[in-house]
Amino acid sequence: MSLRRIAAVAERVLRQLRHDRRVLVFMLVLPAVAMILFGYSFSGDITGVRVAFVDEDDTDLTQTLRDNLRADSAFRLAELPVGQDPEQLLLEAGYQAVIRIPDKFTSLYYAHFAMGVATSAQGRIDLTLDESDPQIAATVQKGLADALMDLGEGGPVDVQVKDLYGVEVRFIDSFAPAIMGLVVALISTVLTLLSIVREKVDGTFARVWVSPVRRAEFILGYVVAFGAVALVQSLVVLSVGKLVFGILINGSIAWAFLCVILFAIGSVGLGTLLSALAQTESQAVVFFPLVIVPSVLLSGMMWPIQAIPPLLRPLSYLVPLTYSNRLLRAVMVKGLAPWQEPVGLGGLLGFVVLTIAAASLILRQRARGAE
Amino acid sequence: MTSPCESVFSARDVTKTFGAFRAVDGVSIDVPAGEIYGLVGPSGAGKTTLIRLFCGLAAATHGEARLLGHAMPGDRRAVESRFGYMPQEKAVYRDLSVGENLLFFGQIYGMDRQRIARRTTEILSLMRLGDRVRQRADSLSGGERQRLSLACALLHEPDALLLDEPTIGLDPALRAQFWDHFHALSKGGRTILLSTHYLLEAERCRRVGLMQAGRFIAEGTPAELRSAAASRAGRAVPDMEDVFLVLTASSEGAS
Repeated sequence: MSLRRIAAVAERVLRQLRHDRRVLVFMLVLPAVAMILFGYSFSGDITGVRVAFVDEDDTDLTQTLRDNLRADSAFRLAELPVGQDPEQLLLEAGYQAVIRIPDKFTSLYYAHFAMGVATSAQGRIDLTLDESDPQIAATVQKGLADALMDLGEGGPVDVQVKDLYGVEVRFIDSFAPAIMGLVVALISTVLTLLSIVREKVDGTFARVWVSPVRRAEFILGYVVAFGAVALVQSLVVLSVGKLVFGILINGSIAWAFLCVILFAIGSVGLGTLLSALAQTESQAVVFFPLVIVPSVLLSGMMWPIQAIPPLLRPLSYLVPLTYSNRLLRAVMVKGLAPWQEPVGLGGLLGFVVLTIAAASLILRQRARGAE
Repeated sequence: MTSPCESVFSARDVTKTFGAFRAVDGVSIDVPAGEIYGLVGPSGAGKTTLIRLFCGLAAATHGEARLLGHAMPGDRRAVESRFGYMPQEKAVYRDLSVGENLLFFGQIYGMDRQRIARRTTEILSLMRLGDRVRQRADSLSGGERQRLSLACALLHEPDALLLDEPTIGLDPALRAQFWDHFHALSKGGRTILLSTHYLLEAERCRRVGLMQAGRFIAEGTPAELRSAAASRAGRAVPDMEDVFLVLTASSEGAS
């Protein structure tokens, strides 16, 4: 064993790293970015949950309750006129909870206090919850309980929770669509990236390029292959989810598969795009955390986007998995059609159009011998 | 097939620059059908760039490269099925078998499965890879992979072949085999433009363009080049390496 030879090998490896600027930048920047993202993401409280407040009683007490809720940073409260269907507000207007204060709430609330525990008269509040994200649902319930406590003497209040989907949604139920999206994103992006970089390194890219294969055909070939892979992966996730964890699937599996394929198409585009920045397979590997870290931390997969600090929250909307999560949860848990979740569908379509267009441009540049 | 009088490869004063670097510098060339034309010169002489210009993988900065009468890369689509290209790297899919590689390249050239199967048998027997059809490319030896790479370029029976250093890294016996294939193809009417830095291989070409620093320093049949070198050196120059040295020296002296 020679220390000199060990040092020679170590020095050579460090020199190689120094020559590869892209790897070097990632080596130094990635730990900092990862620490910032992990640190902020784990330390955030849920804020800005959209809650509709429908006050049919409209008294000083209910206004105090409204003010208490409004003072809670967890909520973004909107006071709506009476007579609206809570389910429609959740499914179509994008609210995550509807708090309805029925007529005579105040009188029943004080009546109970005046008459003591013997009476059955009790103030009642209807809470309709979108439980597709159980963490948000729990935050709303806790926030409402706190606001009621702060009303002071009176009560108790009977909070009638209505499950939008008929059953209680567990964390695993809303986690399964996210896992499906994550797996598809990772495999499609990473394998496309590696495959194209390998074609460049091996020279097969040039060979394909002088053949009759068109740019569109090349990209579509990858899309078809990874679309098929995405379908099989989704089937595996759903089967394991259903058989092992008994996950809730309220919606159409066919729609879910179509959404997954859409996401796979965008991910192939992203992989092609990233391949333009990597000349070797080791440079390509450096991009993997770039796909994985934001997807896990910022997409609402592990915790709701409302739990991400407002400073970082805009970044969530740059992460494709955010839209896939919204869309797949809407389709699988809420049982909606894709177009009933316009933000998720629009985001995903935008992702597909942008990445495929950019990938196509990059391939054209390459076809012109620009590489 | 191309008519004998038509130039399969032609370029007029073609230049390709990368920034300030002139990779190909004012080269003109005409290669008629059925000829084997060798671009001969040291590494960095501009051979690969010239081949890439004819393939349409790069666009000339000045002048025009034409393949089978079509300007490249603008008219590439008109000729893309009529030429075969073998890059310098052993450009095959390492994780596919020999047969799967040929299947893919046959399919992208629009061949049906029957024709691919027939051509695969023919070409693998010609390349002495007949027993390797199911073997993965990454388990082949360097020479075998090179033969597979050539097979991929020949599979669709192109009229013109662009071969970038096809014999690099091969042992002399295998090199001789490759040249036998090239001559057989040429006899069958195919036109070959190839590059090599083995100066002795120039002897095997019908005509040769000696390249240095992006330019042709001499062009002609091997006999013509020898005679040009002899007249400059004032003595007989039988060896092609000496021919190159004499012509290079006189070219440098002239410039």
